[in-house]
Amino acid sequence: METAWIDGKPASPEDALRAAGELLDAGRLPLVTGLRTDVVGLRAAFSLARQVGAVIDHGESASLYPFIAAMRDGGAFLASPAEMRRRADRVLIVGDAVGECDVALLKMLAATAPDLGVRTRGAGRRLMTLGSRAISLPGNAEVTHLDCASDAITDVVGMVRARLAGRRAGEGALSDAAIATVATFLSEAGFAAVVFAPTEFGELGAEQIFGLVRDLNETTRASTLPVLGHSDAMGAALLATWTSGFPLRVSYGRGPAEHDASLHASDRQLSGEGEADVVVFVDALAGAVSQVPVFATPAILIAADPAAPDAARVVFKVAAAGRDHDGVLYNARFGSFVAKPAETTSELPTAAAILDALADQQAGRGAEAA
Amino acid sequence: MLTRLKGGHVVDPANGRDAAGDVFVEDGVVVEAPQAGREADETIDCTGLIVMAGAIDIHSHIAGGHVNTARLLLPEWHRAFSSRPGETALSRVGWTTEETGLRYAEMGFTTVVEPAMAPSSALHAHLELADTPIIDKATLVVLGNDDLLMSMIREGESAGAIADYVAWTVSASRALGVKCINAGGSAAFKENVRQFGFDDVVPDYGVSSRQIVKSLQTAVRDLGIPHPLHVHCNNLGVPGASSDSIAATIKAAEGDPLHLAHIQFYGYGTEGKRRFSSRGRELAELVNATSEITVDIGQVMFGQTVTISSDELRQFAGSKQASPKKSIIFDHEANGGGVVPMDYKRKSFYNALQWAIGLELFLLIEDPSRVFFTTDHPNGAPFTTYPDIFALLMDRGVRAKWLDALPKSVVKMTSLPEIEREYTLAEIATMTRAAPAKLLGTPDRGHLGAGAVADVAIYRPGEDKAAMFGKAAYVLKDGDLVVRDGTVVKHRYGRALTLRPEADKAMKTRLDRYFDDRYGLSSRWFEVPDGALGREDPFKVVPCRA
Repeated sequence: METAWIDGKPASPEDALRAAGELLDAGRLPLVTGLRTDVVGLRAAFSLARQVGAVIDHGESASLYPFIAAMRDGGAFLASPAEMRRRADRVLIVGDAVGECDVALLKMLAATAPDLGVRTRGAGRRLMTLGSRAISLPGNAEVTHLDCASDAITDVVGMVRARLAGRRAGEGALSDAAIATVATFLSEAGFAAVVFAPTEFGELGAEQIFGLVRDLNETTRASTLPVLGHSDAMGAALLATWTSGFPLRVSYGRGPAEHDASLHASDRQLSGEGEADVVVFVDALAGAVSQVPVFATPAILIAADPAAPDAARVVFKVAAAGRDHDGVLYNARFGSFVAKPAETTSELPTAAAILDALADQQAGRGAEAA
Repeated sequence: MLTRLKGGHVVDPANGRDAAGDVFVEDGVVVEAPQAGREADETIDCTGLIVMAGAIDIHSHIAGGHVNTARLLLPEWHRAFSSRPGETALSRVGWTTEETGLRYAEMGFTTVVEPAMAPSSALHAHLELADTPIIDKATLVVLGNDDLLMSMIREGESAGAIADYVAWTVSASRALGVKCINAGGSAAFKENVRQFGFDDVVPDYGVSSRQIVKSLQTAVRDLGIPHPLHVHCNNLGVPGASSDSIAATIKAAEGDPLHLAHIQFYGYGTEGKRRFSSRGRELAELVNATSEITVDIGQVMFGQTVTISSDELRQFAGSKQASPKKSIIFDHEANGGGVVPMDYKRKSFYNALQWAIGLELFLLIEDPSRVFFTTDHPNGAPFTTYPDIFALLMDRGVRAKWLDALPKSVVKMTSLPEIEREYTLAEIATMTRAAPAKLLGTPDRGHLGAGAVADVAIYRPGEDKAAMFGKAAYVLKDGDLVVRDGTVVKHRYGRALTLRPEADKAMKTRLDRYFDDRYGLSSRWFEVPDGALGREDPFKVVPCRA
């Protein structure tokens, strides 16, 4: 079985490693990205990035940053889906994207009822959708829909906050009566859960929604369930944070970890407009839809299912974490990491093994050069 | 290889040593002096140096979901974020897992306990600990606001059934003990309760904080878990109510061991025009009089830090004082929690009195084997402030200088200026080595007797105690020389110390069903499998008492 290619031609893993090392040596600033792998693979990717002075970011970090930026600028109330399943008597679904990103979460909330809490248990669960289209949900839950264009929602949430605080608000996309309906729905909750996809509203919108929930907690209980779309990106951000201090978008180009959410974003660097001149792209996760880009610079692809032998200058075929080998993955429903056993056996190396071999090889070359 | 640590002043209270002598190390453990004729393969000249066992920190928030959230919330504090790293707030804090291990090792600490691991965050916590170099680690798993425990108490289930549930949780999460944080308080906060005391009742469950603490204390004792139930009392930080809560909890120990965490935050009275006063002396007397109680302090030091706690109710209340003004409050299963940045100011009456109360407690609690050295990192201060605290405890001249810099109104409200006690090296070694090992049930460390793991900290003594404890001259971890002149010279990974109590199989079946039916979660997700951490031999199992 062929497991490595150089310029589209089959090669031994040793030759491919050597070729990959030469690409890294020739570059001034490598980019390690994709990062669709398990915790051990992420750890190895960070070791390699440190070793070769690379920028490192997840390929889908753009799906996280409206959430991360809003949270670290202004704070947040955050809930776990499992607790809200048992606790929330009112659920406000804000925007259209949640229905696309995580309809399973909405179905779970619609199909269950609160069973904890004197204030919440017994009366069932009421849901309200605030968006441009109603969402069809199973179960007996009562669902109210308020029609509102997605791009007007940030302002509408501001109007709800004004209403709750007893302040006047100007005219907006919803009538006073509709604003009052949302405000009452939330303020009369025993425990309200606000579900939204931060990418739909950007940092400012996410901050507005976090602010609404903070206001609600002055008198009652409420929290948020931000839906992020790519759970493996969240796992990568968490590991990046304990490893480097920062949630991805980090450069080791000058030695210590340096964070810049714009400069070191993978989409900017992959576009060819960034400073990176060689790419290591990891795409080796069970269940994730492969989104390997067409590379604008020389690239090393470490993938479970490479689209073609010439998808990059050097290609390694590896096992998929959680499918071909055991792996620890972030699970959004659990809100933390879980151990996922392999579904099958595989002779292929793991992404971590290739990344470690590459890092060891480069460390050896560095020592020889010294 | 036989290594001889030659001629140092060996301070090893567990073995009654406090004099010049040698320590021999072979194959990672301390050994007896060799027979005449056998020479050491390597000798480290310790003449004029102080030789102690590696230090043990029993309560320091270094890993897990809440700690990582604090890193996420405060990027501006990272060394690399600023163009002037030396002036960045908290620039000395071990903020990544890597720095945490290195900074602890440089001070001669070789074992650190993460004291607040949520069952749902166990794998996350262990992943971070597995990436923390040099030191050995351990965790305490948090129970006491969880639906199942409170339901079991409400339904009158047997002590055995509760113990089975505790055993499963400890074993699945790979913990070394059990922590109880504001028992019932987080659950009550989810019901919009804003103040919760020891005899208040959690709505919907009808069980009090007292009942929860007593149930867990009994389970821990019956399971033979060596470390007593580790309690974070109710009403932390609330003047008057805090000292009432801790006094009630101490009385409720009723002869069985109980460890009370960061008690400085409970030494607050309501006297004076600011309605904030020290009850340090009264609390110290109560601890002195109750032999089954052990405590750690949670010393406050001045400067920017961040509070990280699974006491969701307290963190919500504290979020009003957040500095900078941002915080994160978690509504997770069971405890939840919060992350609130805090800037303790020397010129603040309240913060300065908190600092003084911590020192009063350190100095007025007589038995150094019952009071433990903590800042509740990072809640009272980052662990990197430890050297200054050692100096404050060992030198009343240093205390006098610090007191001179405080507002005069504070000095009037504390007994600290009258306290003459200075900790001796033997007392420091008791408090940070011998006693923690005994408290955690880890007899393989905390001393330099034959058979102990060769975790050794060697200091260069001097008038400046902060300098002495800030940078160890040498540190050995499992016999490896890992620190020289305050700098890590060898990178390696330690292990996590865990218990593996056996739970009844019926409890496992019950929990499979419970997590699936109630939360839609797999009970397997709460487990930390051996192979998950990607490190060789990541755990060391500590036996429960028979």
